[in-house]
Formats: sequence, structure tokens, C-alpha cells
Amino acid sequence: MTATIKKQSKTPARRFVRADGPDKVTGSGRYAADMSLTGALAAKFRYAQVSHARITKLDVTAARAMPGVFAVLTADDVPDVRFGGMVQDRTLFARDVVRFEGEIVAAVAAVDADTAQRAVDAIVFEYSPLPVVNDVVSALEPGTQLVHEDWASYTAPGVMVRKGNDASYASIARGDVDKALAEADFVVKSHYESDGCHAAPIEPRAVVAQWEGNKVTIWTSTQVPFDARAGVCETLELPNNRVRIIVPHLGGGFGGKCGFHYEAHIAALARVAKRPVKLVFSRREEFLAPDKRREGIVYDFETGVKADGTITARKARLVIDNGAYTSDAGFFSQLAAMHALGPYKIPNVFAEASLAYTNHQPSGSVRAPTAPQTCWALESHIDEVANKIGMDPVAFRKLNAVDTGVEGPSGQTYGEIGVQQCIDAATSAAGYGQPLPDDEAIGVAIGWWPTFASASGAYIKLDGDGSGQIITGAQECGTGAVMTLRQLAADELGMQPEDFELVYQDTSAAPYDMGATGSQTLFNNGRAVIAAAGQIADQLRELAANKLEAAAADIVLADGMAHVAGSPDRGVAITKLAATAAGGELLIGHGSGPPPPAATATGSTCVGDIGMTAWRAPQFSCHAVRVRLDRDTGVVRVLRVSTAHDSGTIINQVGAQGQVEGGVMMGIGQALTEGTQYDDQGNQRNAALLEYKLQTCADAPPIDVQFIEIYTPDAGPHGAKSLAEAPNVATAAAIGNAIAKLVGSPVRRLPMTAERVWGAMQS
Amino acid sequence: MSESFNLNVNGVDYPVNVEQDRNLLSVIRGEVGLTGTKEGCDDCECGACMVLLDGQPVNSCSYLAVQAQGRAITTIEGVMDGEVMHPLQRNILEEGGVQCGFCTPGMILSAHALLQRNDAPSEEEVRIGLSGNLCRCTGYTKIVAAVQRTAVELRG
Repeated sequence: MTATIKKQSKTPARRFVRADGPDKVTGSGRYAADMSLTGALAAKFRYAQVSHARITKLDVTAARAMPGVFAVLTADDVPDVRFGGMVQDRTLFARDVVRFEGEIVAAVAAVDADTAQRAVDAIVFEYSPLPVVNDVVSALEPGTQLVHEDWASYTAPGVMVRKGNDASYASIARGDVDKALAEADFVVKSHYESDGCHAAPIEPRAVVAQWEGNKVTIWTSTQVPFDARAGVCETLELPNNRVRIIVPHLGGGFGGKCGFHYEAHIAALARVAKRPVKLVFSRREEFLAPDKRREGIVYDFETGVKADGTITARKARLVIDNGAYTSDAGFFSQLAAMHALGPYKIPNVFAEASLAYTNHQPSGSVRAPTAPQTCWALESHIDEVANKIGMDPVAFRKLNAVDTGVEGPSGQTYGEIGVQQCIDAATSAAGYGQPLPDDEAIGVAIGWWPTFASASGAYIKLDGDGSGQIITGAQECGTGAVMTLRQLAADELGMQPEDFELVYQDTSAAPYDMGATGSQTLFNNGRAVIAAAGQIADQLRELAANKLEAAAADIVLADGMAHVAGSPDRGVAITKLAATAAGGELLIGHGSGPPPPAATATGSTCVGDIGMTAWRAPQFSCHAVRVRLDRDTGVVRVLRVSTAHDSGTIINQVGAQGQVEGGVMMGIGQALTEGTQYDDQGNQRNAALLEYKLQTCADAPPIDVQFIEIYTPDAGPHGAKSLAEAPNVATAAAIGNAIAKLVGSPVRRLPMTAERVWGAMQS
Repeated sequence: MSESFNLNVNGVDYPVNVEQDRNLLSVIRGEVGLTGTKEGCDDCECGACMVLLDGQPVNSCSYLAVQAQGRAITTIEGVMDGEVMHPLQRNILEEGGVQCGFCTPGMILSAHALLQRNDAPSEEEVRIGLSGNLCRCTGYTKIVAAVQRTAVELRG
């Protein structure tokens, strides 16, 4: 079932066929691994293959001497630069110490992949093992081995609170939580743990680099081409205008392909080899090497509640597995603290989170970082609190959830929001409250997620034949957000989306955009495209006014025509105006809309405050999930997922439904099967799709999608918020609450595998 | 040891000379030069490399190229009828079943094979028929709808 609850929506629902679709369904679309250049060499990395050790010998002499080997690089062959999203704790190649098994020690370029691998095997790498920090909680205990002995010398924003293995501590405090807990009628404490898991895009990443003179072009499977360029420029000490990043079609990302990854290694190899160099990851490398995977977290909650069901206090303590390097995870601590409070009106709160270095693969922004797992833990706890006072969990949420004009837990007062409507819509679609068979239950959870404002730019030109091009810095990772830009431009100019082609994913062609990260593409680049189209619309109105002998302000652009308002017959075709302009002042627009004003929170005090306590245009959701439990085996089958989302105005209905359906499916995987397992030395035990189970088509349930469309001012185009990450937030939580109903108590570790469910049934 | 032989891909004979241990996927991509067939895992787990061998779906990553001699290989590039999209291609696009597109070629070939052996599959049969093809983007809903719509269209 798909339904839409319309409210103040400004854009008509329109069936939308994506512009890159024909490439993708015919096989003609090129992805990074499909690129081939004459003379290209194959790249391979030598990985540490040990979680924590001091390097005692690294000798590449034999590898360099092998026939067919053109370049072998180590830390000695590149500038000594530390980089990182917030904490600059990483180098391109390991220096002195390796801190996780997938750390790159050396890189090889050779005539083919087999030769490159033989050269990798010929590298002499000797080391002295160091104690492995394998447990996220004990990592913070005094006397524990430091993952970074020199942590204090690393560059980081001054606002960050760091100490030893805690790379980022943050807290949110408001009211008097201890007093409120002491005065509460009931206090409920809960402990949960979630395992790390992976983005696991189906396309393993690939990078191709080619130098011409002192300029390098890099074709790469990144979600964030400008960030990748910045990383190359920083680590190889190059100016921005000599590095061109081009992304062919991108085969999914989900955050895993955010950040700066291997572009600099391959560019450095190509420069030394004086040949193009190509890297293609194996699936095993895709699991082990990236510095972006979903972080495991350990949670302790304490909630005070009155007998009437009103929540009065929340304490939460979270320890997040940062892994060996901080990547872009520096903001996770305060973000996770917000998710530990949740979209509830609680007057007295204290939530704190630490980002603990371990010798695991680094964590980073995977689809709604910290949110699905923290939502799972919090919403399990919320059901425990509701059970304690004997209140229906949905009624309990309705009573305590935030609402329009209400102050949230960090002191932000919300404009018009739809969380209460989301609860009603999702539970109604799921048939919540109706009788079910003994082995079935419906669990319900609510979630929230911010939108992220950023600078973003686009150009638009209309050529002499009236066909348009949108040249945008935005990156398409599959969501269709870039594809939707055509619709926005067409609406501004009275044209059709099909009148526009997109030029995108090329840092030398288009202005800056943050990339396919933070669900920000349509939110920010949509405003830029509308601004650019608006400039051309002004030009067209002037041209038409001259032709029609009317005032420019009276010209309307619609259906491919410029006509005088109120006189549809008195018009001229836009193609004719474009032909006129081609002989004079060209039709060129550029846009970079200013970000909407920041949100504010009052009354809370925060340590390590990195700006996560007040959210612009926050999104809300409710998922209600019906499951069946096999009581003999602990196997859980998801039968139906009913969702409702407030993401503001929905601009592309089909695309938006696809985001919800895909986010839900990823959430089911996180709930039941997807979790990284470590051995006692911090090495991943299930770095393959046979052992790390993604959900298949046969596992997928029907998914109801409803949107509570509320026009949101000071947000994205036409009152839109963001969408891609939000649908991933509440699914695992709702599944957990359904399982808890059937088992009689929560399964306290994510993923809730059959073994863990069965274990909970026995206790 | 290398071997010379012809591979018939989408009705065209391609002479190739490849090592006997080369898998069909790498020969289709590297020697025949058709890159629509994707490599997602090299482990028979994801289905991105699915091709048809005499109409039967096969993970080409785990099939030796030499074994495909004398058989009709169909890749995604061979699914169109000239310049006209196969209904499966058109419908998966119109239903919104394409996002990143990396699984799409393999998904279409599995669906093609399914509809060849069962022209009126139930939703459950479609879901089982596509269970060898992992998609991380869509949640499968719109892909299943596209296959069912195609079945109806093809039955006329």
C-alpha cells in the first residue's frame, strides 16, 4: 500500500523516470571499474593484516626489482601529512605503527593484477605486536593501551573534548536530572549493545588515475568528489585546480563511499609509474579496508516516569566504537547523545557519549550514523518503561513524543512537525491493536533525523535550440536526488524535465557541492538549481517582453511558452527565445542559494558542543513492523513494515518511496543478520557476503509507505526536508519491540540473530 | 595454459585467447569488451555478474570461460531488441526499480530467465526467482512489481 497524506504541498505529484535509467538498464552506463585507459597498470595494496603493531622492518627492494613492477610506494614516498575529517589522526600509509588490519602499509602498480599481487607478497613487513584494544568499554579505562600515543599532538577543532582513547566526548544536559529521577514514581534502567556493521554497496570501489603534465584526472567511485579532491590536494600537496575528480555512475554508497579514500594512493602511484593506474577492490577489501562502517555502541539508559505515564527524566551513557582512526566520526558523540534522548519532551536530561579508539576498522558516516542502532536501544528501553507502568507503548509514545510548538529534550522548540501524525498513520496501516496469532506481534518505534545545510552550486544554460544543461556539483549515488534536479529546473522555466541533460560528478566542470552525504543533495543543490533557473527565467521574461511588447513582470513561463499573464494566446515559444539569445546575450544561470537559518536550542548546557543539539528542519518517522517468531529456532520473519515519514514536501514521489523501501530493507538487515564479528585479536571474522548476510528479495516483506507532507519553511526547495537516511532509523527498533513482545523481554544485542533471540527465550 | 576458442555473446562470435582458469566474467568484460556485466563479490553471492547460458542464469564469476564454448551467452547488452528496450528494462525503469543500477543488469537477466520458464509467476515465485541477486538500494518492492507487470504484458 502506498498512500500520501497531502498538506500544503506546492508541487504536483508526478511520475518520474530517472535520466540515468536507460544507461543503467541497458548496460551502457559506465562505472569506475569499467574505465580502461591505454597502458593502464593494476594497483594492489599491502595491508597490515595485524590489528596493532609497531613496524620494525619495511623493505620493498625486492618488490621494486620485479619485472613488470612500475611503482612501489610507502610512507617514505609521499609528503608527511596527517589528515582526518575533524581529528587529523591518519596518514596515507602507515608510519611506525599499524592500528587495524586493513591499514595500508605499501602500494604497488604493475602490468597486471597478478604481477602486482606477487610484488605485494614480496614486500618484507616485520613488526612487533602491541596490545590490541578490542573492547570499546575497557578502551576508556585508565591504564589501557593507547591506540594513538600521540593523540594530544593531533590537530582537531578546539571545541572537541579528547583524552587518551576518547577521541570525542560530548554531553547534553538540561534541568536537574538527579532530582527528577529521585522524585519519579518509577525509574527504569536498561543496558544494550549493538555490533558494528557495513554499508556494503553492491559495487566494490574502483579508482583510475592519469597524469597529463602536472595535472591529474581521477575517475573514482566516491560519494563526495569535492571531499576526495580536497584529500588528494592535502596529502599530495597539490592545488585544487590541478586535480580533477570524475565519478562515472556510482554503484551505491550508503555512506561507505563518503570521505577521502584511495584517490591519493593511486594518483601517487600513477605519478611515479608515469602510466595510468587502476585499482579495483575485491569484496573482501570492501569489508576490511574502508574507514566508513557503522559503529558498534554500548548503551546505558535510566528513565524516570510518573504513574500517569509522563517522562520526567532521562540519563544515558553511550560508548561508541571509533575504530583506529576518527575519519568523519568526530560529531558522532553528540549526535548519538541526541538519539539517546529521542524525539520526546523530557524536561530533565543528561546524555553523554564517548567515541572510543579501538584497533577495529574505523567507523564513519554510514546511512544515518549512530541513529538506527541508538533508536533500537532507546525504543527498546521506551517499551520497557511503558511495560513497567502498564501502559500501551503506542499510547505512551503519543503522550510523550514532541509535537508542533513543543520543546524537545535539548531545548529546541519545533515548528509544524508531523511526528504524532506519523504514529497514527503507521500504526493504523499496520492494524496495531487487532488480534494476532500467538507467534506474531507488531512492534512500533519512532525516530528522528536532522537535515544538513551546506554551500552548494549549479549552473544552467539553455542553448540555441532550446535544450538545457544543468551543470551541478551534486553527486548521484542512486537515490535519484540529482535526477530530480531536472524537475526543479523545468518547473521554474515552464519546460519539461526531459528538456534538460545533466552534467555532474566532475569537480572541474561544476561548482562545489558537499556530495551524496547527509541526505543533503536536493535540500541544498535543489535550492541552487532553482536559483540558477530563476536567472534564466528572468532573461527569458525580458526577451519575451520585448517580443510581445509587454512588461517583463507580466510574462508567465509555462508549457514551453512565454506568454502574457491572462493571455495564453499572446506568447512565444521558449525555443524561439533561446535562438534569439544565441545571437546575443547567452542564457546562462548560476545558483548557490544561501543556507536557511540555523536552528537554536535554549536551556541546555553541553560539553564538546559541536552543534548537534538543534536541528534545522528535523525529520520524523514511525515504523510499525509485524513479525513472526519460530519458537523452536529463534528465527524471526518480518511479515510487513508500515511506515510514515515527515520529510516535509515530497518532490519526487517514486524516488521518495524507493528511499523508504530501501532504508527499511537495510534496517531489517541491521535488525536480524548484519553484524561484524571480531576475533580476540580485533580481526573481522565475517568479511564476506557468505558470512555477512544481506537481505534478499525472498526475505523482503511488503512495505507500506506514507508521507505526512507538511510544507516546511526555511528548509529545502518547495518546503522539502531531506529523506535518504531517515527511513533507515526506526525499522530495527520496531522489529526489536515486536520480538520483545513475543519473547517476553528485549534481545539486548544487535543484530538480533536467531541465536540471540533463542538465547533470550531461554533466560 | 591459454586456449583459443570462440565465445558466442549476444549472437556474435568473438575469438578469444585466454588462460584456461579465466572466469567467464573477466573474459566478457576484459576480452569481449562488454562491461554491462558487473563484478560485485567474485563469490557467487551477489548475482551482479549474472548472464544467461543457453537461456539459463549463471553467475559468470564462478564459471570458466572455456566451459562456455559452443553455448549462447546473453548479457545485458543483448537484451534489447535493436534500439527498443525489452519490456523488463522499460518496466523496471518506469516502476522505479533502478537506483544505483549496479545490480540491475544481473537482476534483469535473472528475471528474464524466470519469465522464460514461468510466464505467470506469483509474487512469491518472483521473489524466490530473484533471490540470487542482491540489491542494496531498493528494498526489492519496485523490482518485483516491474517483473509482475512485465509478465502480464508479455502474456498479452
